[in-house]
Amino acid sequence: MKNVKSNLLEFKGSNFFRQRLILSVLSAKPIRITDIRSKSDEPGLAEFEINLLRLIDKLTNGTVLEVNETGTTLYFQPGMLTGGKFDHECCKQRAIGYYFEAVLAFAPFCKKALEITLRGVTNNKIDPSVDSLKTGALPLLRRFLIIDPGIDLKIRKRGMEPEGGGEIHFVCPNLKQLKPIQIKDFGKIKRIRGTAFSLRTSPVLSNRVIDGIKSVLLNFIPDVFITVDHLKGQNAGKSPGFGASLVAESTAEVFYTADQVCNIPPEPRSVPEDLGKELAFRLCEEISRGGCVDSSYQSLVCLWMALHQKDVSQCLFGPLSPYTIQFLRHLKEFFGVTFKLEPFVQDDEDDFDLKQGSNKVLVTCVGTGFNKIA
Amino acid sequence: MADEYETDKKKSHRERQAGRKAEKKKKKKELLQNDQEKSNNPKAFAINSVVRAERKFRRGQDVQTKKQHIPVVDRTPLEPPPILVVVVGPPKVGKTTLIQCLIKNFTKQPLTSIKGPVTVVSGKKRRITFMECNNDINSMIDLAKVADLVLLLIDASFGFEMEIFEFLNICQVHGMPKIMGVLTHLDMLKENKTLRRIKKDLKHRFWTEVYQGAKLFYLSGILHGEYLKNEVKNLCRFISVMKFRPLIWQTSHPFLIADRMEDLTPPEEIRQNPKCDRTVSLYGYVRGIPLNRHSTVHIPGCGDSKLADVCFLPDPCPLPDKLKKRSLVEKERLIYAPFSGVGGIVYDKDAVYVELAGSHSHKKSRESEPERKLVSSIVDTKLTLDEKIAQSEVQLFSNTKPIVASEFQDDLKPCPNESMEVDHPSHIRHDKNTSLAENDEDASDSDNSDSDDEMHGAENEVTSDDGADSSDEDESDDAEVDSDYSSANDHDESMGESCERLEHGEESETDNDSDSDGSVFEAKDSNVNWKSNLAMKAADAFVERQNSSANLWNLVYGYNPMDQSSDSEDNENEIGGLFRVVRQKQQSKLEEKDTMDSVDSSKFPIKQLKDWTNESIKESIRDCFVTGKWKASEDASELLRLDDLTDEDEELYDDFEDLETGEKHTVESAKKPSKDDDETELDDSKEPEEPMTKEKLMEKKRKLKEKFDAEYDDKTGEGSSYYDDLKQEASKQAELNKSMFEGLEDEVRVELEGFRSGMYVRMELTQMSCELVTNFDPTYPLIVGGLQSGEETIGYVNTRVKKHRWYGKIMKTNNPLIISLGWRRFQTIPVYSKLEDNLRHRMLKYTPEHVTCHMHFWGPITPAGSGLLAVQDVATREPGFRIALTGSVVDTNQTTKITKKLKLTGEADKIFKKTAFVSGMFTSTLEAARFEGAKIRTVSGVRGMIKKALPKPEGAVRATFEDTVLKSDIIFCRTWYQVEVKKFYNPVTSLLLSPDAKNAWKGMKTVGELKRERGIRSEPQYDSMYTPINRKPKFFKPLKVPKELKAALPYKDKTKDFYTGRSNLKKQRVAVVRNEHETEIAALMRRISTNYKEKRKKQQEATHARIEALKKKKQAEELKALKNQKIMKKKIFTILGKEEKKKQQKEARSKR
Repeated sequence: MKNVKSNLLEFKGSNFFRQRLILSVLSAKPIRITDIRSKSDEPGLAEFEINLLRLIDKLTNGTVLEVNETGTTLYFQPGMLTGGKFDHECCKQRAIGYYFEAVLAFAPFCKKALEITLRGVTNNKIDPSVDSLKTGALPLLRRFLIIDPGIDLKIRKRGMEPEGGGEIHFVCPNLKQLKPIQIKDFGKIKRIRGTAFSLRTSPVLSNRVIDGIKSVLLNFIPDVFITVDHLKGQNAGKSPGFGASLVAESTAEVFYTADQVCNIPPEPRSVPEDLGKELAFRLCEEISRGGCVDSSYQSLVCLWMALHQKDVSQCLFGPLSPYTIQFLRHLKEFFGVTFKLEPFVQDDEDDFDLKQGSNKVLVTCVGTGFNKIA
Repeated sequence: MADEYETDKKKSHRERQAGRKAEKKKKKKELLQNDQEKSNNPKAFAINSVVRAERKFRRGQDVQTKKQHIPVVDRTPLEPPPILVVVVGPPKVGKTTLIQCLIKNFTKQPLTSIKGPVTVVSGKKRRITFMECNNDINSMIDLAKVADLVLLLIDASFGFEMEIFEFLNICQVHGMPKIMGVLTHLDMLKENKTLRRIKKDLKHRFWTEVYQGAKLFYLSGILHGEYLKNEVKNLCRFISVMKFRPLIWQTSHPFLIADRMEDLTPPEEIRQNPKCDRTVSLYGYVRGIPLNRHSTVHIPGCGDSKLADVCFLPDPCPLPDKLKKRSLVEKERLIYAPFSGVGGIVYDKDAVYVELAGSHSHKKSRESEPERKLVSSIVDTKLTLDEKIAQSEVQLFSNTKPIVASEFQDDLKPCPNESMEVDHPSHIRHDKNTSLAENDEDASDSDNSDSDDEMHGAENEVTSDDGADSSDEDESDDAEVDSDYSSANDHDESMGESCERLEHGEESETDNDSDSDGSVFEAKDSNVNWKSNLAMKAADAFVERQNSSANLWNLVYGYNPMDQSSDSEDNENEIGGLFRVVRQKQQSKLEEKDTMDSVDSSKFPIKQLKDWTNESIKESIRDCFVTGKWKASEDASELLRLDDLTDEDEELYDDFEDLETGEKHTVESAKKPSKDDDETELDDSKEPEEPMTKEKLMEKKRKLKEKFDAEYDDKTGEGSSYYDDLKQEASKQAELNKSMFEGLEDEVRVELEGFRSGMYVRMELTQMSCELVTNFDPTYPLIVGGLQSGEETIGYVNTRVKKHRWYGKIMKTNNPLIISLGWRRFQTIPVYSKLEDNLRHRMLKYTPEHVTCHMHFWGPITPAGSGLLAVQDVATREPGFRIALTGSVVDTNQTTKITKKLKLTGEADKIFKKTAFVSGMFTSTLEAARFEGAKIRTVSGVRGMIKKALPKPEGAVRATFEDTVLKSDIIFCRTWYQVEVKKFYNPVTSLLLSPDAKNAWKGMKTVGELKRERGIRSEPQYDSMYTPINRKPKFFKPLKVPKELKAALPYKDKTKDFYTGRSNLKKQRVAVVRNEHETEIAALMRRISTNYKEKRKKQQEATHARIEALKKKKQAEELKALKNQKIMKKKIFTILGKEEKKKQQKEARSKR
């Protein structure tokens, strides 16, 4: 058909690969990505990207994939999101978070209830950890629902790089519709929680991490409580390591997360106390960025804000991350949605400036009138 | 109904005030009142039975709940599009006449030739578009999807025609618009009684079709070729007050009814190739939901296309401005119908069209006066915008010298140098800016839009006014920043990207913020070793850049629609404009290269962590925690203090001007403790806080009270059920939708929310087929329906359908059918199926007669729940109802699973006890292997299972059964065969057809039609043919009982061979051969016996004859005797009679 071809969107390079696939599936527009690492020593799609394509292929029906011989060009014609029960072995180059973010973007728009088990690396340095997703991203999804029908994420096993062995189980019942949100109040942080875990190492390490964390955070707030999650046997995955993740909860049900793991073998060993301190710093950075959304999940919120009826949604972000900026551009390309971005001005009733970190951005958009097809 | 609205007024009834009647009434009233008092028995409505009370309550709740509907967010804009009134009816009922009359009534001028939609202003708040629906089923379907109100014209002298019923059905499927019946030709019925009867009959039929009590209007006759004025007026009134409920399809899709079309293709191209693809622009009001600039649209009857360009134009038929008047002035009664040649001046994006309407032009010029004013004002402009601004004056206070813009500029010049002041602009400047923006009519639009947001307005003003002056300083700052960045660039890639973007962002925006950034950096540089923190500073810059909305827009989208109108255009028109564009492109390319293959992670990149143990850094997020400072409205201590304050001053509310001194004391005393907490901060912020006047306090109190009320008042009220909450939420959302972008300019709004409905837009479509232009017929509706994302794709659609009970035939699987679904009309090949209990779709060869079935076809993906209807044929006008199927979409997918039953049969080759080798069931070993484990059965009911495929005879299997099978048994395996749905999707392009072909479009023919056409008869199946059955007679073997057994048997059970014995005797006889003598004897004997036989025969015959004779004789004798007897009897009775008589006489005599 004529129009199917004219819908085709073309991109270059491997960056923002996930965004493009997610938006392509949701907008049902085919895409072509060229020059994927064409100048790199290892040209073409990486293993973890192919794995992501497999995952999307599982979640959809009727996806057409064409990759050229070197893997530098990809044609992707999306199918329909079906949902159902899946089991996926993620690539170990990236953490489960990389895949789970895509799953989370699709979850509200599946035809049937989604139940998925993802296996692989639960925590690494580049991707949001599963703990962060559980404590940071799921509450955000719940904000878009009138009643929570039982969205659940279970961390069954943990696994570190390079061997992985972690497992999470995610359940998302069939959601009829997302509702528009208006979130402008981010409240004040009332407590800080977290988990420190050590896998196939001495449990003392996690206690040392906690010491490091507390040494920084207790300066801000007394309510800091971090649990030790020492897993044994199979549940501890296949590689040794330790790490922690923190979540700061505000009075307005806003969650900021941060996580960090130890270095993996070829790099120099990390000192638990230093790791704890660094993690605490990261949380502080996140808090200083602020807003009503954790900076890692800004893009998800943007997506959910755009994909509902023609209603106005409003949300307060911290400074937009480069990933979000690109996502907003992509949203415009795929759905034609333009967001209204304006610096957030506190109500004039305040006579004095509150020291609340960096400037916030108020993001407003009108839904696309998207309705879940069948 | 028209009778009710007859305007002749009768004298109203006047009640008697005095006299007998009045007294009577008074008495009656009193009596009634007394009665009521008596009957107010308190026990009467008390609960007698708990069960009954419960039931009553439950019923009440049921009734109440049934009335509730899920609240829908109201998305109608402030200025709604004209309502679409479609006039439908069979030919020759007076559709055109009615439209003419209605238009004449609304605009006070007749419109002789009507083609396509006609828009008129009907009232202060309403415009109406009239559209006539021709007798093509394609038009009927298209218009039913977009109509707000349908006027269904019915010829009363004829009654309902099939078109009416068809149209009603189409409406039902595609969301029911409001329907009003109009009876015409009532003057054809001469007799009053029949007229009334027919009116009543038609009304009731109409009610059953639409709903009980649906409005049916009567147009009683025609005078001078027009309907009666009064009746038309009444109809108009009805139309202009009618309310509409939202239809699902219309409220989920944008659409447009094109009332104007221009061919934009260069004439040279057309000359070279008359069949070249055309570029077409379509005009119309956006309806439904806002239309997105980048969306795909479908034109029913033409096909899908992507919008090349959309822009909004001034409304050609605007609503009147002032709402004070009671009725419309002649000038405001506008009419707009370009297809019919009415509309005066028409604006385009780049041209103005003026309709030159011959001798009547003077009339039209009057209607289009407002437009002319606009044009002339544009033409008259002599001064440029800047000059005008410079000339403009503003007076802040009375008795002061007016401020001229040029003065104002001078004031601002030193501004950029003072970094601190830029952050906190003084109040005076604010006032100036805003008042300037408000008072100055000629100020650019952007100023107006910004006047709400003071801060922002101020910034903009500065940039536009002294851009040249400040640019020097800016650049120097930039240079610093740049050098930092370039070194940071080496350090890390992703940050470098952001820096570069920053760089070019700064170029386009000479903004105060950048100055302040620079100064902040300098301050920091002095403290910290600058080289160590490069990355962090870059990150800071990245964050800092997001603190003005212009920067944000630039950062994300690469342009800023907020300043589009004034700043950016100006900049582009400047000398460097061209260079800049190129540079930007290069920049973006470079950027793209840098980031093309970097790591794809959603985390916020942090390369250098700040040291959060450092006191000053720690301080920057101090108030993010509950332990930090709170907002005044939330801070507990502050609230307490406020409470105390107000308690003290309670009685002083009335005249607070006198109480300034006393009030100041309290403020200070209350403030002291809070000051102690954080002395360092308060120094800057204290100053504005100082004049904490009474007014401010009052304001605060009021806000608090509002908050409190909002929190607690609703909960105490009874109306806070779940339903009410939902309703409230919906209305809140609707309010928000309306108010969110209210102050913004249309250009920006369009960018954010799309072209909202009610806007008059021009859309450009490229690569349209030339037939759209050449075969254009304005009487066919040209609808542009917007598609939501995902609806452009094609897949398998699963629908639940039912054959229409008025359609004569049943539908056959794989016969092409024309379906109307969503915006589209298309021909496709459906497969019917039944959803069985185990959720298997089992193919049906034909649709069932009276129940629903499923229909799968290859077609456009449409959301579940949308209605569809199907017709076999749009061209031929066969007598009878044309709508074959109706239903709705259940599911869409990229695969289908429809199966039909398949029985594989085979025979047993070899039979062992319970195992048999079955052959003939499968064609190959591979196929057989696939069926290992499958259940099989014989006709006689013996069940079994396929165990293994055999290698030797191709397709044979070993199977086991529950019992021994016979060789004569047929063994079969029941399986399901997947039926393929054919991928055939052919849009009905009715708009592209030439006028004579419009009614002859056939599309794909059914197999039956083709066969009939070509005289092909289907080959009979040999299996199902009737052939003579030749049955050989069956021979049974005789029963043989062994001798020994026979001997042992008792006589009763022994086989008796009587019959066999006799036949045996005959057979056992020996043939006799006679000699001569014996032959003679035999001959003699034969002769004798023959003789004897002859004799006997004769004797017998003689005897017979004798007996016969004897019988006759006897009979005769008997007869004779009988006769004699009779005579004798007669005699005797006469004698007896005589004697009797004598006796009687004697007795009589003796008596005497």
